[in-house]
Amino acid sequence: MTTAVDFVNLALNGLVEGLLIALPALALTLVMGIARFPNAATGDYMTVSAYAALGVQKALGVAIAVAAIGAAAAGIAVALFFHLWVFRALARRRPVASLVASIGIAFLVRALLTLFVGQEQQTFQVALVRAWNFGGVRLLPTDLYAALGAIVAMAALFALLHATPIGRQMRAVADNPDLARASGIRAGRVMLVMWACTGALCAVGGVLMGVKAVVMPELGWELLIPAFAAMILGGIGSVPGAVAGGVLLGMVQELSIPFVGPSYKIAVTFGVMLAVLLLRPRGLFGSAPAAR
Amino acid sequence: MTAYLVAVGIVALIYMLLTLGLNLQYGYTGLINFGHVAFFAIGAYASALLTLSGWPMAPAFAVGTLLAGLAAWPIGLLSLRLSDDYLAVVTLGFSEAVRITIQEERWLTKGVQGLPGIPRMFQSLGIGEYAEIATLALLVVVNAAAVALVVHLVRSPYGRLIQAIRDDEVAVEALGKHPARLKVQVFMVGAALAGLAGGFYAHFITYLSPDQFLPLVTFYVWIAMIIGGPGRTAGAVAGATILMVFLEGSRFTRELVPGVSEVQLASVRIAMIGLALILMTLYRPQGIFGERKE
Amino acid sequence: MSAKGRPEGELLPPGGKARSAKGAPVSAKGRPEGAPASPGATAQAARAAPPLLAATGLVKAFGGFRAVDDVAFEVAERQLTGIVGTNGAGKSTAFALVAGQLAPDAGSVTLGGDDITRLSPSARARRGLARTFQVPREFTHLTVRDNLLAAAPRTSGETLSSVFLQPRRVRAEEAAQAAIAERWLAFLNLAAVADLHAGKLSGGQKKLLELGRVLMLAPRLILLDEPFAGVNPVLIGEISARIRELNATEGIAFVIIEHNLEALKRLVSQLYVMDRGRVIAEGDPAAVLADARVQEAYMGGVI
Ligand SMILES: Nc1ncnc2c1ncn2[C@@H]1O[C@H](COP(=O)(O)OP(=O)(O)OP(=O)(O)O)[C@@H](O)[C@H]1O
Ligand SMILES: [Mg+2]
Repeated sequence: MTTAVDFVNLALNGLVEGLLIALPALALTLVMGIARFPNAATGDYMTVSAYAALGVQKALGVAIAVAAIGAAAAGIAVALFFHLWVFRALARRRPVASLVASIGIAFLVRALLTLFVGQEQQTFQVALVRAWNFGGVRLLPTDLYAALGAIVAMAALFALLHATPIGRQMRAVADNPDLARASGIRAGRVMLVMWACTGALCAVGGVLMGVKAVVMPELGWELLIPAFAAMILGGIGSVPGAVAGGVLLGMVQELSIPFVGPSYKIAVTFGVMLAVLLLRPRGLFGSAPAAR
Repeated sequence: MTAYLVAVGIVALIYMLLTLGLNLQYGYTGLINFGHVAFFAIGAYASALLTLSGWPMAPAFAVGTLLAGLAAWPIGLLSLRLSDDYLAVVTLGFSEAVRITIQEERWLTKGVQGLPGIPRMFQSLGIGEYAEIATLALLVVVNAAAVALVVHLVRSPYGRLIQAIRDDEVAVEALGKHPARLKVQVFMVGAALAGLAGGFYAHFITYLSPDQFLPLVTFYVWIAMIIGGPGRTAGAVAGATILMVFLEGSRFTRELVPGVSEVQLASVRIAMIGLALILMTLYRPQGIFGERKE
Repeated sequence: MSAKGRPEGELLPPGGKARSAKGAPVSAKGRPEGAPASPGATAQAARAAPPLLAATGLVKAFGGFRAVDDVAFEVAERQLTGIVGTNGAGKSTAFALVAGQLAPDAGSVTLGGDDITRLSPSARARRGLARTFQVPREFTHLTVRDNLLAAAPRTSGETLSSVFLQPRRVRAEEAAQAAIAERWLAFLNLAAVADLHAGKLSGGQKKLLELGRVLMLAPRLILLDEPFAGVNPVLIGEISARIRELNATEGIAFVIIEHNLEALKRLVSQLYVMDRGRVIAEGDPAAVLADARVQEAYMGGVI
């Protein structure tokens, strides 16, 4: 029998997971809003970053927060590399071209990672601490830090988008690409910054996911569909929507466990995605509907 | 050696059926199906479970094919409301949901443990090793029939209309047509072909488990279609053959380059598929044979 | 190009025959004598009956911005109507509302007296209301001929069962449609490029292709969105002549959006001027263009 406290614990865990899902969801929504295709390699950018952090930590023996800088560098590098090599060249073609190429990137990155680091699960060196217990409601300090990390990353993105000139240009391009071009916004620069942001978001997401669970080559790929669902739930192209969508989805996933078991997470996610697409295609915050 | 070639031929022909189905959906109609493996799995499991419960093979095949086609119906309806890239994501999610369901509903599918002892085709005839050759022959006939059907279809007014839908759906509607009906039908026909392929697969491999139905299979089929050139039936045939040569050929590299583990080889193979998807999209979106169609 | 002995640029109806409203070719003899040659002549005759097309109170907003703001217009049977206005005035949006690509926020559209506001674009097309697009929407990978054939009114060849079970019937219907398509291709001077992929055509040819495609529907009314844009002057003359001819021999009414005032003025009998989502003037083309507000809207925009 699941008690009320159990539900609170599940909800809490869902909140943390949701914040972590929100990071790739934000990365997806940025690409969707500005480059206008769903980037299926988003999750694998996370995986690369997580392994980079792992490598830095192993090599230098530094704290996870420092290793995260290495992750950010890796995430940004990978995102920019594939933008410059692949997506920039496909920008004038139909979105499906970029989408298919991004699937190719996802497979390539994941397979190369598996080839070089193997399939074993690895973990970050974090001080093992017991969960805080508030009358049965348990909270792991690492979870709290992961949640805080995610919130800081989101705040940084918000600040960038709303308080800097390049951020305003990014939003202008997302709102109306033609108008933005006419007003002399340099699309090339906006793209570079957007992909760098995407890489950084994936890096933070990858490291935090690795801290919360384990690092393995499938880490990111398995988050792809939840991240998509979160983006659609929140409304395509909406930054607060991606966050809200992630959190909501995380909670739904966790709270469904007592009813359908933990393995059906992906199926639950799929169900949520379907329901949103059918009932409220513009999502919670979106302006442009995903469906027609 | 003959046995090996026959086995490779069977798998290649199974991929060919899958590719013909996907090509009808994406190549001719523009429907982005990233969940092709789900319909393959439905056909395979349905046919396997029915024969294991005592059904004769032919009706089991038919039901598997039919079920795969029917499973595509709600997704097809959904495709009417979704723009291309969302359909891609939804179908990918669908295939994962199907795989998880197979994995979890142990009472029916035995879950990850797998479903062993599926009857082999033509086994009951008591013709020993010729059973496989007979399977190969049947697959050749089925593929030939599928090619003939697809060719007849795409050259008909129906085929012209689905290609028009692929090029510009708004214009098709403005001309007084209903793209919806055709899109759903094409989705179902393509899925039924995948289901039929699944039946052959189940009764050839004789053992099914959910990890045989990862999204990777879907993208094997995609790369086969893209290599051959979307929207060309001969291309689907050639693409599936090339894919098979690559997949099998990579097996031999292991004998040439010693010290490569099975896991490493699998990774290299997946990396090559990924790279091929990128390079083909970038440089040869029309396939490796076709002149640039524009 | 067309039949011998005709001077270049003179236009032939398809195969020298006119077509009935159903789209089947009929001999020109079947047509009542004295079919009106001048576009405006039938306008009065049609007064009593409901207008062919009537739009009232059309509104369409994108976000907070009203692209079409309380627009009304009327087109009589067999009438040639023009719509002009500066860029972004809402002309194309108005077309989309009439043809059904967009749903209006308010207002209604009637065709021959029937309310069609809620009908799908395809249902409207089947009732004889056809349109072309400002940016041509040709079927890129189909040949020019197949572009026209794809528009052939519902044939049995478009159902799966008939394709496989009644191949003979499908072939017969296809042959009949192909003959009609061939005539329109000749009529529009597209016969020479009939086997080319439509994506390969020039901008002007694509405009002609779109016209040919909607002609396959045997429509009562065709909405043309900037048929002369990006088209060379010689071809503009040809397209104008074709429009006139279709109007005279087939009785098709046209509504034409154009920035080329000179060409349009010579073609139409009634003109609407749109500005910022509203109709600011309507009526006789010469009078409308002389109107002070129109002058201001246009000149103001230019300077
Ligand atoms: N789908 C849309 N979403 C948002 N705004 C739109 C959309 N379609 C049109 N608009 C805006 O509505 C206004 C009217 O557009 P419309 O295309 O109807 O103008 P038009 O009169 O046809 O102009 P042009 O002569 O340039 O073709 C423009 O400001 C345009 O930016
Ligand atoms: Mg316009």
